[in-house]
Amino acid sequence: MKGKRMHDTIKRAAAGLAALFLTVPAWAAGGAKAAAATPDPARDWDLLWNEVIFDITIIGILFAIVTAWFIWQARRRPGNEVGASVPLSPASAVGWVVIPIFVFLSIDLYTAANGWVLWNTFRDVPANRMEIKLEAGMYSWDYTYPNGVRTQNELVVPAGTPIVLRMTSRDTLHSHYIPDFRVKEDSMPGRITYLWFNPTKPGEHIVTCAEYCGVMHGYMAGRIIVKAPEEYAAWMKGEETRLAALTAPEPAPAAKPAKPAAKKT
Amino acid sequence: MNLKEWIFTTDHKRVGVLYLIGSIAAFAVAGIMALLMRAELSTIGPTITANPTQYNVWLYTHGAVMILGFQIPALTGFFANYCIPLMIGAKDVAFPRVNALSVWLFYVGVILALLTFFIPDPPDVMWTGYPPYSTITTGNTAMYSFTVLILGFASIIGGVNFLTTVAYMRAPGITLNKLNIFVWCTLAAFVLQLIFVPVLGTAVSLISMDKYLGTNFFDPTKGGDVLTYQNLFWFYSHPAVYVIFLPFIGVVYEIIAAHAKNMVFNYKMVVYGGVGGIVLLAGEVWVHHLYVSGMADWLRIGQMVTTLMISIPVGLMMIGLIGTLYKGSIAFTTPMLYALGVVFLFLIGGLTGIPLAVPSLTIGVSDTYYVVGHFHYVMAVAGTFAIFGGVYHWFPKMTGKMYNEFWGKLGFWITFVGVNIVFWIMMDVGVKGMPRRYYDYAHFPQFEGAHQWMTVGAAILAVGFTIAILNWILGAINGKPAGDNPWGSPSLEWTTVSPPPHGNWPSPPSVSEDWHPYGFKKG
Amino acid sequence: MAHDAHHAEAHGHAHWDTSIYPFIISFGILALAVAFSFKFVYHNSFAAILSMGIGFPLIIAGIAGWTSEAMGKGEGLSYGAMGWFILAEAMIFVSFFVSYWYTKLHVDVWPPAGNIELPRIMPLVMTFILVASSLTIHYAEHLLHLGNKGGFKTWYLITIVLGACFLGMSVYEWSHLIHQGFTISTNAFSTIFFSVTGLHGSHVVVGLAIFLAGLPSVLRGDVDEGFMRTAGLYWHFVDIIWFFVVSQVYYW
Ligand code: HEA
Ligand code: HEA
Ligand code: CUA
Ligand SMILES: [Cu+2]
Repeated sequence: MKGKRMHDTIKRAAAGLAALFLTVPAWAAGGAKAAAATPDPARDWDLLWNEVIFDITIIGILFAIVTAWFIWQARRRPGNEVGASVPLSPASAVGWVVIPIFVFLSIDLYTAANGWVLWNTFRDVPANRMEIKLEAGMYSWDYTYPNGVRTQNELVVPAGTPIVLRMTSRDTLHSHYIPDFRVKEDSMPGRITYLWFNPTKPGEHIVTCAEYCGVMHGYMAGRIIVKAPEEYAAWMKGEETRLAALTAPEPAPAAKPAKPAAKKT
Repeated sequence: MNLKEWIFTTDHKRVGVLYLIGSIAAFAVAGIMALLMRAELSTIGPTITANPTQYNVWLYTHGAVMILGFQIPALTGFFANYCIPLMIGAKDVAFPRVNALSVWLFYVGVILALLTFFIPDPPDVMWTGYPPYSTITTGNTAMYSFTVLILGFASIIGGVNFLTTVAYMRAPGITLNKLNIFVWCTLAAFVLQLIFVPVLGTAVSLISMDKYLGTNFFDPTKGGDVLTYQNLFWFYSHPAVYVIFLPFIGVVYEIIAAHAKNMVFNYKMVVYGGVGGIVLLAGEVWVHHLYVSGMADWLRIGQMVTTLMISIPVGLMMIGLIGTLYKGSIAFTTPMLYALGVVFLFLIGGLTGIPLAVPSLTIGVSDTYYVVGHFHYVMAVAGTFAIFGGVYHWFPKMTGKMYNEFWGKLGFWITFVGVNIVFWIMMDVGVKGMPRRYYDYAHFPQFEGAHQWMTVGAAILAVGFTIAILNWILGAINGKPAGDNPWGSPSLEWTTVSPPPHGNWPSPPSVSEDWHPYGFKKG
Repeated sequence: MAHDAHHAEAHGHAHWDTSIYPFIISFGILALAVAFSFKFVYHNSFAAILSMGIGFPLIIAGIAGWTSEAMGKGEGLSYGAMGWFILAEAMIFVSFFVSYWYTKLHVDVWPPAGNIELPRIMPLVMTFILVASSLTIHYAEHLLHLGNKGGFKTWYLITIVLGACFLGMSVYEWSHLIHQGFTISTNAFSTIFFSVTGLHGSHVVVGLAIFLAGLPSVLRGDVDEGFMRTAGLYWHFVDIIWFFVVSQVYYW
């Protein structure tokens, strides 16, 4: 990735600025870079999320404590019927603009740099991926494997292989959301979008629709079933034979209509 | 009292009061929609309606009416109308008739929105109205478009009116650096409205044209593009959140300065850094609502930085607010409680916007209840508290009478507890994966308990708001006389009698050299 | 302002200004919005016509009453206000152009299927006419400023005629294109073409309506200079927008 070196530099610079104000836990800062082999966006997401939540909690508590302290100090008491603040000197008036800007900006840039790194993890698809096409529609998820096998609302994948979904929609907007993998991206007619996730170990995960798409939006759900590679191979074998049985005898039975040509990508 | 002089009035104060009545009514209706939604969500599966469309219609009305019928009109309609001419020492606005037109167009817009409950095939497009759903639904999308168009138009002519008023009708001696913070904030909000509402108007017109007049803006088979709409919509609707934020934080400034009897901290920083900074940045961040909608990557990354940078001017405004408390003389009146509530609750809401600003994090939580929690904290909680506090603050001016402090404070504390139950839990279930706009969450049974707590919280806060509204009604009828300046504020609106007569002052007020709206004096 | 009607009751208690027309116009607009739903959503033309029959008279009566109530009372700030209003108007056009660019630049093939050759000469003539009308109104204002009411009247009328010519040519062109089967629903480009030229045309109509609203007082000879300046400003705006329309939808 060509941007990599540049944003590492930016990140280092921003981190330097931010350190003036906040000591950010080192484990979190290193998180995004640590993964060497296939990255795991879900885990990186958790790390960065926790870090940012930690930062904003600190900022919030600081502001809240100061506010509470001022309120307590300045409550109306005898002898204190009118506020006693004095106008700022020009220097401190400017200082109260420049210093906060500097501090806030460094926090912002630091957060942005971390976010950028994670963004690349989410968008740079690993080379050893499996490509699956997804057509969303009211109200189902229709997957097509590279070998032509199709499933609906159930995506079976081998553990350890990154999965890329190339998505489009046949009617309204939908959003393929897998909470366990922290990914979602909308699909829509006329454009192809993608997302990828890394199913590390066997298990089942919910897929749910995260973009309002119509009356039954809340019911538009499916499952990602992660199988151990051997089990997956066996399952795929079965599907392939079924597909062959369906398509071999007569080439054009009306069982399943061919997909429109527009979705060749 | 002469009813005709109220309905056909062109006086800015009465127009303002008409705005207040209309927007609080809209709030009550939309609030009841929220309660119905909460009731429906309290169990898995159908609870009070078996028809998802019914729920979607509630949600649509709730969102659209709360934003377009309650907060924007209450802030840029009621407060702007009531306060701006009084604060700048003018006897009315520049175009009183246009002002009357804008309030009645507002009513017409709200009537259209509420017709939803009486027409067949009501609109169910959510307040965002995204195509292609909005162009293929059997629901009445035209109703949505016209509601937005008319309310938008009302707001544009209001904006033209107030910008002209403040530019040309300030009393002698009121220089730009002696305008109330609220006036600055509202002017900025109007500038945003003028620039961005037309874009929204275009966006919603296009969906109705596509649906009913056969155009192809969003039809990819004819060369159109569905994402065009989302860009246009958020190009307005993000600045719209600052159209809400700016005036409400302005109201909070007025309340805090008056009830702490203290000079606003670093006035120029607040005005030029805070308000000015927000206006400059507001238009460059809309893509943060499209982080997961398939936008070009470079736009998502670029606007991450601008979105994060919004924390700078907003942070300056927070510093100004908190600084105004320092060495003040704080009276814990009802308006002050609401205003202090805003300081804390807006911190929660604003800071939870920071993770949302980072696209890679948004991938995990966009379109979940986390987002719903974020914007209820900033808007539904901080915004509504500011509005309620503001109404309490200017209540003696409007009616000449005093509300009841005890019930006022009680209402505040009940609401305070309620909102935190509802909206805190919301953010929590959101991070765990609860998507928004779900009539039913059958495949997330683990969230049922949380949803029940939210329903309980909503019931609690409804009690609090109802107490506040009743307190106003009863106070207006038989409150104790309040006097002209109960808070002892030097701001100009307190120098006339309560309630002010037509024309506001017998003769235009003139201010001395060392006068300042926040120059509180001993004695 | 609206004082006059109330002189009778002005004694005793303080009186409050009122005007009934904003209220009337607003509800006229409500009736039109409802009419749209009747026609296009519920396919009930009768109810649609009925509510248009309520809406239009209300709006026209409202505007007429309003102008007669306010005209000549010199709400002298309208020039400044028009500037803000034009900012808002300009943003509508910006939205359309941006939608256009966004759509066009993102696809590989443009224009989409179904397009025809647009005329090339006609838009130039139209541009010429509109620019001329901008100059004539400017000249008219200049004469008015010098106090030459007769000259003002002539050039004012010429401007109206030029504006009307422009509109006529637009109508001619539209019907010509529609005849060739190029309609607003042909494809995304035709959609943009008709909506942008239509939107601009509607602004020409509004500009002409403002001129016509001022016409009686011009003929009577008691023109309000502020009103004329404001109307002229709007007309220049309509003119400038046309440059964008022409360059973007005809020649690019
Ligand atoms: C009044 C309304 C209001 C306000 C003020 C804000 C303020 C902010 N909002 Fe929010 N937002 C909404 C109303 C509002 N929002 C609504 C209605 C939606 C959802 C619409 C829908 O989809 O239906 C939404 C959605 C929304 C999203 C899209 C989420 C999604 O759909 O995926 C994002 C993403 O970036 C976002 C971010 C922000 C940010 C960064 C701010 C910032 O302005 C906040 C700035 C404030 C602070 C940061 C706190 C104070 C500052 C300091 C204490 C200084 C120090 C702090 C730092 C340096 C970090 N908001
Ligand atoms: C300013 C805006 C605003 C305000 C104030 C509120 C207030 C509330 N909102 Fe809402 N909300 C939105 C703006 C707002 N909301 C938006 C924009 C959406 C997104 C819509 C979309 O997805 O398209 C949303 C969505 C939304 C959802 C998400 C639903 C979903 O995604 O499926 C929920 C769920 O609980 C909710 C709840 C509430 C609750 C409980 C309140 C409570 O605070 C309400 C409290 C108020 C009352 C209960 C009324 C009290 C008054 C009376 C009872 C009248 C008394 C009268 C007399 C005495 C005369 N809101
Ligand atoms: Cu599909 Cu929501
Ligand atoms: Cu936003």
